[in-house]
Amino acid sequence: MAEFSEIWVFSEKPSFTAELIGGGRSLLPAVGGRLTAVIYGSREKAEEAIQYGADRVLWLENPLGSEVPVENIVPTLARQIEDQKPRLVLIGTTRRGRAVAGRLAARLGTTVITDVNQLTYQDGELLARHMIFGGGAVRLEKPRGETILATAGLGVFVSPGLGHPAGGDIQKIELVEPEWQVTLRDRKVRMAAPVNLVAARKIVCVGRGVGKKEDLSLVEDLARALNAEIACTRPIAEGLNWLPRERYIGVSGAQVRPDLYVGVGVSGQVQHTVGMSMSRMVVAINKDANAPIFSQTDYSLVGDLYTLVPLLSEALKNRKP
Amino acid sequence: MNIIVCYKPTPDASDIVVRADGSISVERAEWILSPFDLQAVEAGMRLAEAAGGKVMALSVGPRQISNSKLKKDMLSRGPDELYLVVDDALAGADTAVTARVLTQAVRKMGSFDLILFGEGSADLYFQQVGLQVGELLCIPTLNAISKIDLEDGRLVVERSLEDEIEVLETSMPAALSVTTDIALPRLPSLKEILKASKKPVTEWTLTDIDVQGGTVKAHSEIVAVQAPPHVERKKVVLEGKPAEAVQSLVDALQKEGIL
Repeated sequence: MAEFSEIWVFSEKPSFTAELIGGGRSLLPAVGGRLTAVIYGSREKAEEAIQYGADRVLWLENPLGSEVPVENIVPTLARQIEDQKPRLVLIGTTRRGRAVAGRLAARLGTTVITDVNQLTYQDGELLARHMIFGGGAVRLEKPRGETILATAGLGVFVSPGLGHPAGGDIQKIELVEPEWQVTLRDRKVRMAAPVNLVAARKIVCVGRGVGKKEDLSLVEDLARALNAEIACTRPIAEGLNWLPRERYIGVSGAQVRPDLYVGVGVSGQVQHTVGMSMSRMVVAINKDANAPIFSQTDYSLVGDLYTLVPLLSEALKNRKP
Repeated sequence: MNIIVCYKPTPDASDIVVRADGSISVERAEWILSPFDLQAVEAGMRLAEAAGGKVMALSVGPRQISNSKLKKDMLSRGPDELYLVVDDALAGADTAVTARVLTQAVRKMGSFDLILFGEGSADLYFQQVGLQVGELLCIPTLNAISKIDLEDGRLVVERSLEDEIEVLETSMPAALSVTTDIALPRLPSLKEILKASKKPVTEWTLTDIDVQGGTVKAHSEIVAVQAPPHVERKKVVLEGKPAEAVQSLVDALQKEGIL
């Protein structure tokens, strides 16, 4: 067992790396090994991973910075995994993270369990829990093989915070030249203010019942009155592009559990509700009394949202503390 | 330009039956094409229509994928040819198995310039197979592609990441997994529906494409498939005139200590 007992973590995003370190550390007592973070980029990022609690960092320097896509690390990472055979490699679920995981799996001759909601050890075996059928079912599986690959989304694990002493074991690794390269012509920054739905205590969620982009102002008013974050269902973010993708809740988006979730014009398709079903309290406003969301709410307002939402904002502003 | 579009028919999630013990069954579910795959087909059709060439649809799986309704449905979306690898050993295949069988099929199909994949499958949604196939073929492999253009025999694509859009240029052949908003799938016209049954369909077994038994061995053990955890809700419908109902909600939230 000893030579297989390492847990490795990798993400191109430092805040994500910190969460994965937290997740990896929580599994370590069962595995009995050490935690290694693979870092691509500056020495500072490598040192930061140690302070988040990594026992060791495998550091690949990237002197060209952001001009070189992170995915170029794939052949290097594959060689390190083949040489050192960690038990588990945890990768952060971003689109880049998925690409790294899939390409690694192909090279290593194994599969990946993506978007795990929970990872535990049972009798020396890893047990992964994740959603299938767009949230219609939960699957539990035990991945087999020498090295197991898994990806986890933001919020699945908790960042341990920067508490560990600096210094530590930082090992520089050599780049294995990729077989192919793409040329970066341009990058366009998305005009999205950073949002952390996972941390929000109250969320107002926009669904397709909201007819026009201009009508979002009604929902914004309500969110202000509640001191809530604004979220949406997938079609609002993808397709209609009214709100940035970071704000959609669902099986492929954010998984939230706020104290209060208010759905405005949300019908309640399972692909969405799987991302909010663990909320402490659920309120829905929808004109269709038969909308599936109403079977999963604590308080329902059945009626025209264009009447109800402004009244609700007003009542919240006028309430006596 | 030869374009291969991979797709995966799946049981319709709305036909899932939850058994008394919380486990689920898809035995009686109808098998359907997934919207994710139709978006990839549409992206392929638009490229072929603009640049000339043909579109070949490819799927691997158990016998359900070769039902005539599904084959006709796919071909009525525009592809010129259909290729299937059918074997019941592929039921519930993991991404690694699916990717290896697809890769063997692609090699057997001959020369190609581009392989397209949808964002993920409608059942497992691992979003992995396109990446694995591309890597196994050792060709440029990208996911999250929201726009594809051709320029002087090279691909110029947009890749929609969480916080930025990359504009990338790559040689062909390449393997691309596309986003859900790349192209709105067309509705099949009557003409296309009539044409569909006359288009060539090639069905292979695993042996036909030289896949050995060991290749389809699962990489994980499925322990359980269950209905998602159910949270009990109060299900209070607030009645009355709008202003009264709204006030009852505010009172209730205040009483619950939410505000």
